[in-house]
Amino acid sequence: MTTAAVGRLARPRGLRLERLLPKVGIVAFIGVLGYLTLLPLIRLQYLALKDGAQAYSDAYTRPGWWTTVKWTIELGLGSLAVALVVGTALAWAANSLPPRLGFLKVIPILPIVVPAVASVLGWAFLLSPHPGYLNQLLRLLPWWSDRFDGPGDIYTLPWIIIITGLALASFIYLFVSSGFENINGELVEAAQVSGSSRTGVFFRVILPLLRPSLVYGAGVALLLGLGQFTAPLLLGRSRSISVLTTDMYFATQQIPPQYGTAAAIGSPLLVFGIFVLFMNRVLLGDHTRFVTHGGKGGFKTIAPGSKLAAFWIVLYGALSTFLPMLALVFVSLSRFWSGDVHPSKMTLATWRTVTTASGVMPAVWNSIYLSLAAVAIALPIGFIAASLLRRRSEHRIAGPILDFIVAMPLSIPAVIFGVGFLMVYTNEPLVLYGTRWVLILVYVTLMIPFSTRMQLGAMAALGDAYTEASRAAGAGPIRTNLQIVVPLLRPAFGGAAALMFVLLTHEFAASLLVRAPTINVMGTILYDYYENGGYPLVACISLIMVGVTTAGVAAAVILGGGSDAFKRL
Amino acid sequence: MANVSIRSLSKRFGGKTPTTAIDDLDLEIEPGEFLVLLGPSGCGKTTTLRCIAGLETGEEGSIAFGDRTVFDAAKKINVPPNKRNIGMVFQSYALWPHMTVRKNISYPLRTKRVKRDQASQWVEEVAALVDTTPLLERYPAQLSGGQQQRIALARGLVARPDLVLFDEPLSNLDARLRDQVRSEIHELHGRLGFTAVYVTHDQVEALALGDRLAIMNAGRIEQLATPEQVFEEPASEYVAGFIGMSNRLVFERQDGTWTLDGEPVEGELDSIAGSSATIIARTRAEDVRIAPADDGAPPGSLSFPALLVDSEFGGRHLDVMVLVGSLTRVQCRIPAGERGSWARTIQTGQPVLAYVNPRDPAFYDDAGTLVSSVGRAVPVGS
Repeated sequence: MTTAAVGRLARPRGLRLERLLPKVGIVAFIGVLGYLTLLPLIRLQYLALKDGAQAYSDAYTRPGWWTTVKWTIELGLGSLAVALVVGTALAWAANSLPPRLGFLKVIPILPIVVPAVASVLGWAFLLSPHPGYLNQLLRLLPWWSDRFDGPGDIYTLPWIIIITGLALASFIYLFVSSGFENINGELVEAAQVSGSSRTGVFFRVILPLLRPSLVYGAGVALLLGLGQFTAPLLLGRSRSISVLTTDMYFATQQIPPQYGTAAAIGSPLLVFGIFVLFMNRVLLGDHTRFVTHGGKGGFKTIAPGSKLAAFWIVLYGALSTFLPMLALVFVSLSRFWSGDVHPSKMTLATWRTVTTASGVMPAVWNSIYLSLAAVAIALPIGFIAASLLRRRSEHRIAGPILDFIVAMPLSIPAVIFGVGFLMVYTNEPLVLYGTRWVLILVYVTLMIPFSTRMQLGAMAALGDAYTEASRAAGAGPIRTNLQIVVPLLRPAFGGAAALMFVLLTHEFAASLLVRAPTINVMGTILYDYYENGGYPLVACISLIMVGVTTAGVAAAVILGGGSDAFKRL
Repeated sequence: MANVSIRSLSKRFGGKTPTTAIDDLDLEIEPGEFLVLLGPSGCGKTTTLRCIAGLETGEEGSIAFGDRTVFDAAKKINVPPNKRNIGMVFQSYALWPHMTVRKNISYPLRTKRVKRDQASQWVEEVAALVDTTPLLERYPAQLSGGQQQRIALARGLVARPDLVLFDEPLSNLDARLRDQVRSEIHELHGRLGFTAVYVTHDQVEALALGDRLAIMNAGRIEQLATPEQVFEEPASEYVAGFIGMSNRLVFERQDGTWTLDGEPVEGELDSIAGSSATIIARTRAEDVRIAPADDGAPPGSLSFPALLVDSEFGGRHLDVMVLVGSLTRVQCRIPAGERGSWARTIQTGQPVLAYVNPRDPAFYDDAGTLVSSVGRAVPVGS
């Protein structure tokens, strides 16, 4: 009797500890994520604002600053416009494909899968004024036959905008086509039965329903366009075309490195990224308004499959992926890049030497190992973050903070993170520069949004009933996670891991900033050889990069149930 | 076996339009009792069940199983669901698709560290009880809905919990299976005698299964009584409406005579109404009859002229809609009678005489208070 009474009295104290522990855990977790994502940005701003914002006044009064800003905006808006039109048209075309050509739906996703460095270089080989393969072909046409070079010149802003837009069209395609899938087919049928034509349905019903996907997709694409680094760096230099990201890079390459100036240059992108993040929350606050899931998910246009749709998709695939890849293959088989395409002059010489070329194989293995390590860390972090965000309503303060931190790396250009990491980890307390760890940490940080979002999506699809049934059956949170949630989410883990691996083996911008001279990854060694002009070798390395990526994609398809893995973005 | 006592439990949901899901609710569930929470969607019944399970947390009040407090807002006690020793059956079955039926059923035993031999014996027993022994090695996806819900039932019962919670377990089944599984639940409760809380919006299920029914409205219990009492003496108009008394007849006294939507009413209402000028009758469709307009109603009944709006053939019966006055629509379910009977000849637009036996409806005053109900109406002529 007495013991029972004592036991009952003692319980509240034990419970208090039980309640406290998870809270401490959550705070520690958010602290670690905050250290990874926010600290570099804060330290950069601190540096830029030091001495009465000296770095800002330096950066914004330099000659050419406003031209750089203008070019950046042109690149952002121009590529967004190209991407919106092409991406929406692709989604519509993919939806009108005849059933037996359904496999073509994969094509618009290829630019996400193919390393940007590779396709940008491919375009350089296609549209370089004199030796570009495509230019040579075009000069065979009678009205251009008298020209020595052109008609296209890849080293100009319009072309940089076009190829950036073509690549971003992939993202718009993903957002819009997953939006299509969420539209209840009966809504479309109801509009058709009520007398709307196909185009009428598209403009009056489908587009308004897609507003959230389009707004979100356009916001993301604009951020990516403004933060574009690869194409302006590789193509813009010969004509001194610079954008904010390339300016930042060059600021860090000066001796001594101008981190403060770099931070100041990047600030407009930082501010805009955070703005888009907030607007996204405000604009799409009331998600339920747009939930259109009904009895029959996804709609099909009733018109019989269109061959024209297949043509547009294949044309897009050719321009965005196949032609640049083909150009890379030709260059990799040439002794010099002269633009000659003649079977007799082709040689495997470069391929024979690529494995022994200084630094190439170590860079390839670095890419693979560092990406795998980062995936292994980012996956559990994403799982915990997704589990917490799933119960957002229970964490009134922690929820929104976590939400914000997790989304940051997606809305802020990788270059800014690169500069921030470079600065933070070359200084006390944690000097990691020169080790592989700094690359792994950047990679983990950049992957947190993907890891979290994909797992959050999978958890939402799983619903609460399975975990609740487990809790009601007497299992604690740990057992529930290990025996119920993890086994059921295994396909999602596989898909997320493979996607992250693919994205990381591509990674170029942040890698270029934080690498030490002795530690290269595929993207950075490629850049070094490109700078030194060894084009056939550059083409070989690009193709190896594509090969590694393809292996990752194959893993994604096998593990994650096909191209759906990419739609969880 | 323990009783469950809920004391002044409240639960609100935040968001843009905050709603009160449970409003100062008190409820005492006896050991071994089968209590049904009945109400339309959004009345707070599922939230109440989830608070008992520990899957939701109330803002105020307390919940105790026997002398063990599992939730107390003031003392900040909130025992997690896995430590409440409950069994639960979900609407979506929630069988884990990656585990065999045997693993699904034995899961609660593993979490409670029941010895292996003992556990497998209990699994076999409970599987036999719900008639699913041949299915033990299959995966949930290979089973029909009815089989899945039996497995879910077995999983809820296998660990012999103090309390079994049912969250609309039959609503995903088709009509025939629903009756079958319902009888099985009733039989199992009779044999095993567990304490149960069962949430449903189906009055037939509630009447069949419950030792007592709690009819909920806007987070409060509107009536807590045995199925017979609820059926015969619905405490409020809300309960009457929910339990099938869908016709609402508002009788008004004008210059000493009673009218229904302006039409004169024949029959005795004074003794029920007392001195009030308005009395509301709630009746089931089965209790309203119609007769040819020029015929008289049976002695002792309340009758009023009506216009036939529609008639649907239902085999043994006809579902007839009549209009009294300009607004009062009254549903009647009348015997179809033999071929050629008067009931089969009725036509839309035809004037008829509708009547009820005053012993059948439940009567409420205009404040909604029960005045007189089934079988308690003052005998005609006294």
